[in-house]
Amino acid sequence: MFCRNQTARATVARGSALEMEIRRGKFRKSVFLDTSQQDSDIQKKIDHEIRMRDGACKLLAACSQREQALEAAKSLQTCSTRIMAYMSELQRMKEAQVMQKVTRRSSDAGPMDDRLPCKGKVAISDLRIPLMWKDTEYFKNKGELHRCAVFCLLQLGGEIFDTDMVIVDRTLTDICFDNTIVFKEASPGFELRVELYSCCSEDDYSAGSTPRKLASKLSSSLGRSAGKKLRAAMEPGPCSPISNGGASPLLLPVPSVAGPKYHLLAYTTLSLSNVQDSFRTHDLTISGNEECSYWLPLYGSMCCRLAAQPHCMTQQMISGRLKVKQCGGDPQSSTKVYAVLKGTSLFCYHQQEDVEANIEPAFTIAVNKETRIRASEKDPHSNVQNICISNQYGGEEVTHTLTTESREDTHRWMEAFWQHFYDMSQWKQCCDDLMKIELPSPRKPAPATPKQGSLYHEMVIESSDDLSSTVSDILARRMQELELRSQLGTSSTWMSVFEENSACCPHPCTSHLSGPRPCTLHQLSRSPVSPHRCPQLALLSSDASLTSDSDSHRSTSPCSHHHGWPEPSSNFSLLSSSPSHLRPRTLSLDAKLSTLRGRGYGGGGTFHCSCQPPPSSLLAPLPISSRSPRSQRSTQTTLSCSSSTSSNSSSNSEGSHSPAEGAPFSRPSMARRSLRNLRARLDPRNWLQSQV
Amino acid sequence: MSFVPGQPVTAVVQRIEIQKLQQGDNLILGFSIGGGIDQDPGQNPFSEDKTDKGIYVTRITPGGPADVAGLMMGDKIMQVNGWDMTMVTHDRARKRLTKKNEGVVRLLVTRKSLEEVVKQSMNKYPRQ
Repeated sequence: MFCRNQTARATVARGSALEMEIRRGKFRKSVFLDTSQQDSDIQKKIDHEIRMRDGACKLLAACSQREQALEAAKSLQTCSTRIMAYMSELQRMKEAQVMQKVTRRSSDAGPMDDRLPCKGKVAISDLRIPLMWKDTEYFKNKGELHRCAVFCLLQLGGEIFDTDMVIVDRTLTDICFDNTIVFKEASPGFELRVELYSCCSEDDYSAGSTPRKLASKLSSSLGRSAGKKLRAAMEPGPCSPISNGGASPLLLPVPSVAGPKYHLLAYTTLSLSNVQDSFRTHDLTISGNEECSYWLPLYGSMCCRLAAQPHCMTQQMISGRLKVKQCGGDPQSSTKVYAVLKGTSLFCYHQQEDVEANIEPAFTIAVNKETRIRASEKDPHSNVQNICISNQYGGEEVTHTLTTESREDTHRWMEAFWQHFYDMSQWKQCCDDLMKIELPSPRKPAPATPKQGSLYHEMVIESSDDLSSTVSDILARRMQELELRSQLGTSSTWMSVFEENSACCPHPCTSHLSGPRPCTLHQLSRSPVSPHRCPQLALLSSDASLTSDSDSHRSTSPCSHHHGWPEPSSNFSLLSSSPSHLRPRTLSLDAKLSTLRGRGYGGGGTFHCSCQPPPSSLLAPLPISSRSPRSQRSTQTTLSCSSSTSSNSSSNSEGSHSPAEGAPFSRPSMARRSLRNLRARLDPRNWLQSQV
Repeated sequence: MSFVPGQPVTAVVQRIEIQKLQQGDNLILGFSIGGGIDQDPGQNPFSEDKTDKGIYVTRITPGGPADVAGLMMGDKIMQVNGWDMTMVTHDRARKRLTKKNEGVVRLLVTRKSLEEVVKQSMNKYPRQ
């Protein structure tokens, strides 16, 4: 094609080759930009994780309580794994970069011809790992209660998540993780690696994997002094290497910390074939043997629900205006529709606005694995190709003919259909129906459930549900303490501190953390303390102000009656939560306090039962009715007793300071001795009981 | 109430409907259970047959919803809202009773006295 303008022609002539060059150059430049952008992304992530890991080390060194130490060690493990994953990804990217530079000369770098399947969301939830305790251990409760802290690490592609930590001992039959973990960008060929880490939760931490017998022999004082030594040695801290962007990643010194160390107990890998909309059992590969301190008798399998939502099922693949004609119907009547391809159907709406307005589509054409789509011959009248979609509806073949507005559109639609079919063939069973994935709701701080640990030894069978004002005060304060303690234990609290530090004021905060941190923590364990100085620096207040950012970790329930925080900011309401979380603990605490008080008052209480329940209302709040002290005492005798003491010990407890309470009861009369026998036999140490 | 493997279990049951009581964030029923197929049946003080691994009521909170509904200590729970409880683990039993979206639980419970009552009534009117 000749142009009058010479330059233009030159441009054109050069255009074709130059265009190619530019395209190649652009391609190269864009790839280069992309990788360097991705590079810096990964570098940022690595830096972030390194900072978190440093924080975890420091927290571990400063921890005084076991729960906190375990949580911090868990975060340390997660951070280390994430760092390793990011570093290997960085390595791979650099290698790919180098390879590309080499190969670009040789081959024409055009856009990739192979089709890539769409990505999807993969969610794993309701992890349950059954345990297989020996009969003697489980029923007879012989020997020391060996406890382990466990958690799961889940890795898919570059994303690594960890579940909450669970303390396991032989009163549990399964390890249950309630978290739902969602991986956002997964390809159909994904490999989800599930690793179960466990750590012995006994006193001594300094020795890493000492055999159980030896570990129990080592005294706790040794652990503490050894820990102090290590902490002192560690004080300068591992220097966080400042990554020089672009260069090969430096080998980070792995910090050796005093404290609990997690070991890999079992692992497995899940892939697309394991995806199903219901629970399935998978085999676990167990590493470690009985001699290890972190050993747990696993049954060898794991149950979970692995669901996948490929993007082709949840997002619109293509949309546009079409004319649809049904074969066999009126040949001249073709409906103008706005069609949307999503999931396994082509939705045809009357107007484009209907899509947003959520109005029902005019009709729907199924597009699934059985559908056949082909482009028909060119219509002699118009220059446009038609697309024919044929489905089998119960033996009958129904064909719809789609006419687009232009040839490019036809090409676009065919391309979209091909891509859609390819996606469906890659994601296989996930494209039959949309699997539901529940997004993890904003996590409330995990309440101290009485199910785990040796709380059964503290829990008593009988306790009155009465709550006098004084008792509820004591309980409220105790629950507050527990809440604080459990919140400190959760990783998100302290992690958010570090996140904010890096963003706002790194210098004063980090120094503050290393210094007064131990005492702040210590104070917390006793009672709520007024935060000092500016809200940014003090640990607790920073929790509150910072966790307000990370809303996903805290419930924003308004502060209830019991909190001594001087600062009136609404952020502090985050630190309190309703006492009802700890309801099971409430009752056992109730009884325990009554036991303690009862011991002070001495024993002796005659037992008489009243045959007729006095009338009183049964609605919440729990009934308070005045009764005679005698029957009051008798109530207490029947109701509160701890498993290890006789029924006399706790007799007068509640009655003495709250004479006005009592609950009506109708209890069949039993002799005192048989009652005591019964109580002894209902000892939860022998036979598990649950309150509902 | 003894259980022969492979044979259907027959028992005289009483229907008990318990309305759950809201206590703060939780719905409580006001009793405790013991037993389960993963528990040691020999420890059950209420069962006649010491191999019975069913779910038994071990304690009733006086004045609580279960007490009002007529549940008694020592009752064996056969069904909860239609779900069988004669062959469940302890945890499963607890979960079936503490479902958050249910405000009412309808139990089928059996106890020795029920059987005796039925026997007595049958004896009163002997078949001719």
